[in-house]
Amino acid sequence: MPDIIPNNRTEKILSGLDGLQKDIAPDFFYTRLIGRMQNELSEKKNRLMLRPAVLTISLSVFLFLNIVALTKLDHQPQQIKMQQPGESATIQSFANAYNLTAESVYE
Amino acid sequence: MTEQELIYGLRNGEESAFKELVNRFQHKVFNTSLGLLQHHTDAEDIAQEVFIQVYRSINNFKEEASLATWIYRITVTKSLDHLRSKKRKKRFGFISNLFGEDNTPVVDAIDFNHPGVQLDKKEDAIILFKLIAELPETQQAAFILNKVEELSYREIAAILNTTEPAVDSLLQRAKQNLRKKINQLPP
Repeated sequence: MPDIIPNNRTEKILSGLDGLQKDIAPDFFYTRLIGRMQNELSEKKNRLMLRPAVLTISLSVFLFLNIVALTKLDHQPQQIKMQQPGESATIQSFANAYNLTAESVYE
Repeated sequence: MTEQELIYGLRNGEESAFKELVNRFQHKVFNTSLGLLQHHTDAEDIAQEVFIQVYRSINNFKEEASLATWIYRITVTKSLDHLRSKKRKKRFGFISNLFGEDNTPVVDAIDFNHPGVQLDKKEDAIILFKLIAELPETQQAAFILNKVEELSYREIAAILNTTEPAVDSLLQRAKQNLRKKINQLPP
């Protein structure tokens, strides 16, 4: 008799899933899935921008443009000096060159 | 829509085909995942991952097995991976917390209540689910596919990439282990 009781209990627990009804996916499963897929897609795009290769190329281009700009600027003051030997650029000469006299404004 | 048409539509990136796929398999995927993970939110999360995986790798599907078998296989793999990573997190949780890597606490599934269990079997089912979680992975998968999804030995063999006698052996060993574990429980 004592042997039967534990065996009964074992079989009773083992049959705990008998007649189990299948559970169904929660409501709006498809909508949530599509939302997640769209989120992952936009995150992927953002992640692409932060990739080491993209960052390195962007930084290289930035540095290259800076170097080019600096070398160009280095040459510019010399050209200005050559164009205006001994001539001092006054506000009056600038206004004359662009016809910005007091009369021209009110004409 | 036949399975061939569905696969063709998915390969062409048709949204209607994807919607049909989700409608056709969402409950199977969710129910299998729920049986293995014993957690509603995790099961939904993994079910979503399964469909994303199917969408991404439909071109790699060789049609050696049916679409259902392939989707079940992805579901089982993803669910077992999730369980493994959960166990790993739990094991190294203290160290991770020390380094501030991930502060989300890993909560144990306490008393999983499957909504489909018959009223008079609720308590037994809770105990049984707890013990199923302690089984080796393959036995767990075979047992859940058989008892929760009610799949045949042939279908389980195709999903687990094994033979029917191997599935029978897995289920026998699973039951044997469960019996042992139940006998060790306090009365």
